[in-house]
Amino acid sequence: MVDFQLTEEQQMIRDTIGAFAKDEIRPAARPADESCAAPDELIQKIWELGLVRGPIPEEYGGDGGERSAVTGAVVAEEMAYGDLSIALHSLAPRLFAYPLLEMGTEDQKKTHLSRFTGPKFAAGTAAIIEPRWDFDLTELATTATRDGNSFVISGTKCCVPLAEESDAILVYARSGGAGGFGGVDAFIVPRDCGGLKIGDREKNMGLRGLATYEVLFEKCKVGSDARVGADKGIDFSRLMSEGRVAFAAMAVGVMRAAFDYARDYAKERRAFGVPIATKQAVAFMLADMAIEIDAARLLIWEAASRLDKGGDALRESYLAKNYAAASALKVADNAVQVLGGHGYIREHPVEMWLRNARAFASLDGIATV
Amino acid sequence: MKILVPIKRVPDPATTIRVLPDGSGIATDNVKWVINPFDEIAIEEALRIKEKQGGEVVLITIGQSTWQEQLRTGLAMGADRAILIKNDAALDSLALARILAKVIGDENPELVLLGKQAIDDDSNQVGQMLAEMLGWPQATFASKVEFADKKVTVTREVDGGLETIAFNLPAVVTTDLRLNEPRYASLPGIMKARKKELKEIPADSLGVDLAPKLKIKTLAAPPKRQAGRKVGSVQELVQVLHTEAKVI
Repeated sequence: MVDFQLTEEQQMIRDTIGAFAKDEIRPAARPADESCAAPDELIQKIWELGLVRGPIPEEYGGDGGERSAVTGAVVAEEMAYGDLSIALHSLAPRLFAYPLLEMGTEDQKKTHLSRFTGPKFAAGTAAIIEPRWDFDLTELATTATRDGNSFVISGTKCCVPLAEESDAILVYARSGGAGGFGGVDAFIVPRDCGGLKIGDREKNMGLRGLATYEVLFEKCKVGSDARVGADKGIDFSRLMSEGRVAFAAMAVGVMRAAFDYARDYAKERRAFGVPIATKQAVAFMLADMAIEIDAARLLIWEAASRLDKGGDALRESYLAKNYAAASALKVADNAVQVLGGHGYIREHPVEMWLRNARAFASLDGIATV
Repeated sequence: MKILVPIKRVPDPATTIRVLPDGSGIATDNVKWVINPFDEIAIEEALRIKEKQGGEVVLITIGQSTWQEQLRTGLAMGADRAILIKNDAALDSLALARILAKVIGDENPELVLLGKQAIDDDSNQVGQMLAEMLGWPQATFASKVEFADKKVTVTREVDGGLETIAFNLPAVVTTDLRLNEPRYASLPGIMKARKKELKEIPADSLGVDLAPKLKIKTLAAPPKRQAGRKVGSVQELVQVLHTEAKVI
């Protein structure tokens, strides 16, 4: 009944992306953090791995691979093991493409999906989070009002990755009277739509390699064909569950990066004539970190497996995301602690992972993968 | 061009190898298995040749059912199909070369590309033996492979420099480290690999003499390195190098 064994294919994906993350992404992580930019060549190289186009059906120019939340979680974890900013940057196009893929109309798929199946990286993004103290996914303040044959979108969003370089933004807005997830719709808003303003790039504590923006919608008028899924709308709850699972999986990637680094350091670093890893104070800390990692992953895989079976995973994905966010902070903080004074200086990556790990608790809905 | 690429499954180079207490082999628990890195370079080269000239890349390995994993990885990189010659016991280089020669007789590739050696036992023999059995030209330790008509030019890394040789197809080429940098399999590549043909042939159905001519008697871990020590003077150093290290 319970099976935690990845398929042979998923194992191959894990090993391949894992090797790529270790050899190609990790060396770029610190420079991206320092320069506040992910290198174009690397983003292109990741694009060629087909992580975005893979699950897009062949009729829209993709490869027609199976789309699975478990596989998505495996990919997200490995990518974030390399670097969280670069992982979010390179997977951001999924924020736009996959809701369309899953819930868009035939026309919407035909018009928009081919942009993400070409040989060159195509930015894509979604605007979900709002800069309000009482921000609540089920109570979005951004509204879409029907005006004859069109919708008028008004509101302010923030933490929108790659907004500046994307041709269109998928905007989540409250459209109906219904409360909760049911009243939310997604709209395809072209970058050049009148009333759409992209603010300055946000200056964040972590995720410095990822460009995020505040985006303003001042009575943006879009046709009724911009509404994802037309009259049927979207299943916002499911999209958020998928996003949380993927984001939580990235937290596991960051945790694993921090744990591996701290463990290796503790085996090398000697105090009182022995490696500090042999001291219980350190060994227990490392063991606790390993427990957090496996526990978080199991919660994530359970949620993902429910999604793959077509079931509802709102509760499971929320628990997984919540747990992973808290664990990521704890594990990254412990990694800094294991390195002692070295943990605090920028020569080592653990302080960067601690800053990045903070994002998981602060941002919800940045990654719908 | 039809290219056959024989590959071997070996422990990940990053794995810490432990010799079994009785010296009969290595501990294989917790060992991650990968395609022999030199063979991976051979796959990459075969794919590049195919991308330029068209043709087919066929992978082959000789081993247990689990070796399928490495064939699938090669298929995910872009090879067209794969053959597993199933044999549970470990075989020596000569038996491997004999099996390959037999399969090559059926497959008729124009080029056989394989790693110069496997990183597990470092025998460096199969390519050479195979070329001899087939009566084909061979180029070992290739660091560059170029084609003009039916002629191949291979640059070889030899002691003290590079050697360039030219010969006609069909031929056997073994690859060195600097030939290329193997690609990562793409997600679509991995997904397509599952649907590609992977044929299993029992080794004993080939009618080839598999009797081992070589027997591994025992394996031992290299002796532990002693810690270094400081000497007081040049004189003492020379003395120690002469009497203890016995290198001068």
